[in-house]
Amino acid sequence: MLVKIASAAVLGLEAYQVEIEIDSSRGLPGQSIVGLPDAAVRESRDRVRAAIENSGFEFPPGYFTINLAPANTRKEGPLYDLPIALGMLLVSEQITAIELADTLVVGELSLDGGVRPVSGLLAICFSLAKSHRRILVPKENAAEAALIKGLEVIPVSSLKEAAEYLSGQTKIKPYQVDLEKLLSVPSEDLLDLIDVKGQGHVKRALEVAAAGGHNILLVGSPGSGKTMLARRLPTILPPLSLNEALEVTKIYSVVGLLAEKGSLVTRRPFRTPHHTTSDIGVIGGGRIPRPGEVSLAHFGVLFLDEFPEFDRRVLEVLRQPLEDGQVTISRAHSALTYPAKFMLVASMNPCPCGRLYDAKPGCSCSPTQVHNYWRKLSGPLLDRIDLQLEVSRLKVDELAALPQGESSKIVRQRVIAARQLQLDRFGGQQVFCNAHMAPQQIRKYCFLEPEAKQLLKAAIVHLNLSARAYDKILKVARTIADLVGVSTIETQHIAEAIQYRSLDKKGGEARV
Amino acid sequence: MGKESYEIGQRGEDLAAEYLANHGYHILSRNFRSQQGEIDLIASDRDFMVFVEVKNYSFRSFGLPSAAIRREKRQSIIHAARTYLYRNRIKNKNCRFDVVAIYRRLDGSRVIELFQNAFFLT
Repeated sequence: MLVKIASAAVLGLEAYQVEIEIDSSRGLPGQSIVGLPDAAVRESRDRVRAAIENSGFEFPPGYFTINLAPANTRKEGPLYDLPIALGMLLVSEQITAIELADTLVVGELSLDGGVRPVSGLLAICFSLAKSHRRILVPKENAAEAALIKGLEVIPVSSLKEAAEYLSGQTKIKPYQVDLEKLLSVPSEDLLDLIDVKGQGHVKRALEVAAAGGHNILLVGSPGSGKTMLARRLPTILPPLSLNEALEVTKIYSVVGLLAEKGSLVTRRPFRTPHHTTSDIGVIGGGRIPRPGEVSLAHFGVLFLDEFPEFDRRVLEVLRQPLEDGQVTISRAHSALTYPAKFMLVASMNPCPCGRLYDAKPGCSCSPTQVHNYWRKLSGPLLDRIDLQLEVSRLKVDELAALPQGESSKIVRQRVIAARQLQLDRFGGQQVFCNAHMAPQQIRKYCFLEPEAKQLLKAAIVHLNLSARAYDKILKVARTIADLVGVSTIETQHIAEAIQYRSLDKKGGEARV
Repeated sequence: MGKESYEIGQRGEDLAAEYLANHGYHILSRNFRSQQGEIDLIASDRDFMVFVEVKNYSFRSFGLPSAAIRREKRQSIIHAARTYLYRNRIKNKNCRFDVVAIYRRLDGSRVIELFQNAFFLT
């Protein structure tokens, strides 16, 4: 006797169908699972036995061969428990299935027969919605699975319930969610730009960065508010579109972090990996490949505090995703690609003791120490950071006296308007914001007023800027002009953009 | 193995066989041996072929008897079962491994317990 049930496996952010074939034969009792199962899949044997017995069914006698086809890919995780258990009930004719056509089944079983949630379900539904009609999912995952249209999502909470559904004894209403409603729920941000006093120039720089998708480096003394400011960057970024939200949700689903975020990720991610994070942790990978921090920050912000404290390897692996917006991880048996379109916000102290910019008590580092501290940041990496600026500490009386700035809401409106201008400009060119302009596009779109050109030339000569810095200034100036809705870049825009190259100017001072 | 313990073992198997017979088992063979294994009792129970291991305990203090069958012993029983099925050309019959545990309570009364489906091929 042979039974087949369709299930799925996740590879990267894609999924493919796994057919579970169960053959029973009379003979000595036992079962074997073939088709490259990993430990969690092989252990399902014991869970399935207990779950079947504790659900009021009989564990069938005889020998069972369970094949997970295609047999040449590695199967991971406990999501085959439920289909295997249902298959064993079918093959021993304890239940009959009238509802198995075009149906996918996934779910982990607990020993009492309950169905536990699994990870990666959104990716599965996304990839297999076209080829299947229906999916049986753990109840906890139903909201996530229902985000994909065109797939009937049947939530089940126990093996018994699933068996009764398949045999037509009970009807279960397909789970449905209202996508528009989920997305329009105002994300209540506890953070607001208004919380930060003073530091107007940093707020302005963040606005420019948000408007053009530029990466930004904040250099400043400890306690000057770098972290506080960076945390508020997501509040001025435009809200996620539906497609963006789905893509981000998919990543979180695969990693199994969705539970804490609800069914749909509606806020831009803000990731702050600690500086002890390994290169694999940042970029993704591992024996069982998993998206790293750069992918978890997809369409959001990756904030690296204490930038030079990160391992050199970590900093260098960032270069490729910063350039390509995705990460390809090649391993012996497969190559996976994870999206990684993020804004990099880095912050650091100006020197190891952190007081280089302070008059009192002053810096206690030797020039060599400062030199070595900065040397950890390679030129190619800094080149990918369009805005660099210094953040100084506020004095006590300044803290008390300064008026409150604008709220995130107001700034965000300007950012959205600027982004819309860029979208219109780049329409259909695979570029969505100024930061990603190719040299050709820079020539085409960064149109300078004659006076502005003069200023830029002077700056290049006097500040000894490189050709690369020249392009960066143009890109940033383009964004600044977009923020006020002007098509030609004017002197004031160039002047502001030049300010954001503080490290280049310091060429001989801080960076040797 | 000393003569005394052999007799204790024999007596245990007699008790187990009697117990199983009373429960509808039909004893087919006793002390079946293959090259690398042995089975205390082989019986048929309705549609099932049952391979029975008899465990004799002087007292019960080390957990459930079925759990006390070690891997090597299980392998030995499985090997013998395969040999038996092969020699007698038995195919297409569902099989089962049972364990009969015999022990005495503290007050001296004897207990015989049957564990059906005690283990499986691994």
